[in-house]
Amino acid sequence: MTTDTAPSWLLQSQAGLCPCGCIGRRKKGGFVEKTISGASGLLRQAMFSEDMAARPGLLQRIEPRLKLLGILGLLMAAALVQHIEILLALYALTLVLAAASRLSLSFFIKRVWLFIPIFTGVIVLPATFSFITPGEIVVPFGTWFGHPVGMTSQGLTSAGLIVSRVAVSISLVVLLTLSTPWNRLLGALRSLAVPRMFVLVLAMTYRYVFHLLGSVTDMYVARRARTVGVQSDVTSGRAFVAASAGALFGKSHALAEEVHMAMLARGYNGNVRTLTPAKVTPRDVAWLAGSALIAVCVIGADLALR
Amino acid sequence: MHIPDGYLSPATCATFYGAAVPVWVVAGRRVHKIVKNRNVPLLAMGAAYCFLVMMFNVPIPDGTTAHAVGGVLIAVLLGPWAAVIAVSIALLIQALFFGDGGVLSYGVNVINMAFVMPMVGYGVYRLVTGHVSLTSPRRAFAAGLGGYIGLNVAALCAAVEFGLQPTLFHSANGTPLYAPFHLSQTIPAMALAHLTVAGTVELVLTAGVIAYLQRANLPILRLNHPAVPDTDAGLAPARTFGWRWAIVGLATLVVLTPLGLIAPGGAFGEDSPEDLNLHKYHLDAVPTGLRHYAGFWHNALFDGYGFGHDQHPVVGYLTSAVVGIAVIAAVVFAVFALVRVLRRADDDHDELEATVA
Repeated sequence: MTTDTAPSWLLQSQAGLCPCGCIGRRKKGGFVEKTISGASGLLRQAMFSEDMAARPGLLQRIEPRLKLLGILGLLMAAALVQHIEILLALYALTLVLAAASRLSLSFFIKRVWLFIPIFTGVIVLPATFSFITPGEIVVPFGTWFGHPVGMTSQGLTSAGLIVSRVAVSISLVVLLTLSTPWNRLLGALRSLAVPRMFVLVLAMTYRYVFHLLGSVTDMYVARRARTVGVQSDVTSGRAFVAASAGALFGKSHALAEEVHMAMLARGYNGNVRTLTPAKVTPRDVAWLAGSALIAVCVIGADLALR
Repeated sequence: MHIPDGYLSPATCATFYGAAVPVWVVAGRRVHKIVKNRNVPLLAMGAAYCFLVMMFNVPIPDGTTAHAVGGVLIAVLLGPWAAVIAVSIALLIQALFFGDGGVLSYGVNVINMAFVMPMVGYGVYRLVTGHVSLTSPRRAFAAGLGGYIGLNVAALCAAVEFGLQPTLFHSANGTPLYAPFHLSQTIPAMALAHLTVAGTVELVLTAGVIAYLQRANLPILRLNHPAVPDTDAGLAPARTFGWRWAIVGLATLVVLTPLGLIAPGGAFGEDSPEDLNLHKYHLDAVPTGLRHYAGFWHNALFDGYGFGHDQHPVVGYLTSAVVGIAVIAAVVFAVFALVRVLRRADDDHDELEATVA
């Protein structure tokens, strides 16, 4: 049986180092390495998403339009909630959905928490102190010119709220992305009254990104191949980045012209057709009703706790 | 500057979606008028390019790298309205497929990075280029400066959006429900990061790409500059200096007005008598003459740059600023109109005398 999923070696983020660990001092990658690894990371993420979307799981079976609407409802409920306990319950729900959709939980948790919620936690840390969020001090740190300072209950609650809300929101979007092939997801945008033309441009953009990504990788790999030793000259580095970005614009414009001519040759007259949406089954309706019910319950519980 | 979901209240997100819809409608019409049915591949290409520009790591001197947004670059290459659509689509792909920036906060990100940034940056670019040829070094510099200022204004917008959250949305005991920092913290933090590193990276990339295209691919630059001659020899004689720079300076000052909101303390010598530190001046009471004349005028429309009883101090301050600017502009306009009328009368008088003589 042939498999159409990406091989595992391709999806590994780093080529294996020596099994005994790192040899010598590890150098910080320059801008060339970073751009190349960024490009391959993008491809890896897209291929991985497609693989996940092809798995037989709960969310994968749901019609994309209704799935999108349901996730958006839950997302809005998470945005309105003002209690950490309820946000944690919503987070548990996303974990259940991930498990039911055959996503590896350790991967799902890592993908969500690295790096935005952790970053959020670091930047809201100062806001837990009485300097920024005044209130009832629960973790005292002594006094400052006669005033007691420390972490306030208001500050800690606020930090907890924002970190948990960010984590729930990202989890919901990741669930949507990983369980839906990209062309189906774009088609689903039509159900949100997004104009057809916009959806068409969006679809072509997605396709172009990966085509042009090849050009970027080629330019940077060629640069690395021409560089002996470590690239350290900032000025020439910047000149190269500007030149490659400029050359990329030339290439993409030429590509746009060619694509336009090819579209005309195939009879494009400005009318846009999108994929016909799949049939809505009772299961899809149940999903939409269920997610709407959960969203309403979450908001109701939040209001009751206030 | 990609704001994720969870930082901003749903009310803020809804407001910005509401603001983004007319922007898209106008942009769609303007772009369609210019490029007809070629717009689909051209816009898709612009959006894909914008997405990729955000991946280009630009080396900065301390050995690390940073990436640019590219909104102003697209505006210079394809025009500001095409940039609105291209950056919006790039942001949507980032939000939906790569988890960069939120879905509910997409409208906010669009207004900051796909509308404010290209519009402000392109405005600066047009003002600074003025009347120069396509290959003039001033054009590359103007694009870079546009990128720098556009990015910083967009960052200021983001800082204001963050900074208003704790004031507008908090629970009964003062717990901030969304982003917890106030304007006095968000604006300096964002300004520090964007005025130094991010702005410089944007400047370097935008100016560098335009300079490269001036050397290597001039036809691409002609896409958005069809009537501009290639060299200085082809230029029509320059117009007079005019009022442009005065207006630019004044507009900058107007945009900076909200900085007054974060300035602590008051201006020296402008305290009202009850705010004076009497002890410092070895006084026991406010001198009678000072007290009498300090309260002489009570009929100010915006007493203390705000509404009465200090309600809504921020709104009051901004309203005072807008009304103040409008009144001063009206007075200046009236004075100029009067001078013009008088001068014309004078000219007529001279002319009459000359004819008589």
